[in-house]
Amino acid sequence: MALRSIKTPSVTPTAAVSSSVINKPQSHRFVSKPSASLAVHNLHQPISITRSNLLPKLKPSSPAAKFRCSASAALTPQLRDTLEKLVNSEKVVLFMKGTRDFPMCGFSNTVVQILKNLNVPFEDVNILENEMLRQGLKEYSNWPTFPQLYIGGEFFGGCDITLEAFQSGELQEVVERAICS
Amino acid sequence: MGVTKEQVEASLTSKLNPVHLEVIDTSGGCGASFAVEIVSEEFEGKRLLERHRMVNAALEEEMKEIHALSIKKAQTPQQWNPTPQDSPTTATTSTTDA
Repeated sequence: MALRSIKTPSVTPTAAVSSSVINKPQSHRFVSKPSASLAVHNLHQPISITRSNLLPKLKPSSPAAKFRCSASAALTPQLRDTLEKLVNSEKVVLFMKGTRDFPMCGFSNTVVQILKNLNVPFEDVNILENEMLRQGLKEYSNWPTFPQLYIGGEFFGGCDITLEAFQSGELQEVVERAICS
Repeated sequence: MGVTKEQVEASLTSKLNPVHLEVIDTSGGCGASFAVEIVSEEFEGKRLLERHRMVNAALEEEMKEIHALSIKKAQTPQQWNPTPQDSPTTATTSTTDA
């Protein structure tokens, strides 16, 4: 599967250290010469440089930070591309905790049992094995939790929605339509 | 740490203006898992997936600490209580009375 390609994080170290060194004497000069407009000008300059340097410096550590849930940094264009291929790799793809044979979470297990009951062929992807995939997918699907069920390349829902659709018969219809297309 | 049932209720109440709301802490006290039943006018004309997304969005801050959120029910007032209260528009022959 295409999972391997997203395992390498793109770390781009920047010269944030040197810019903060530059920044210090500047602000010091401002304190000693508050009336000089030149000093004020110079003070603003390094600050904006420092900020822009700080952002990429912080980013690479965020995919590794396990409890970082806020959106934005996890989904790179490359990852989005990979996920798009992944959700379209099969008609039914289940992103879950654990595997179909060893679900690691009750909600994931519920969806596995439903799909097994419907006798649907599906691809299971264990998101516990790849933190980048896990965080990226939350953004890609705009859905905060797992399991996440994709049918025909489209996000269908989490456990509650799948269960409700299964009980109403809607799930079977959607699955059949996707498989026959 | 964790989120309290009251926090979840407050966020859902302020953002979705529900006519019925039931939040159950299913975590056994640590505040990491909740079950929600919510009935709101805001769900009118929206599919279940969109409704769930609205609930998730309303709890965006809380979701950072909540491990599992089970949305048991996300309905419109009509779905929740199909018998019209005092609107004379529908002449349904319903057997249930309010």
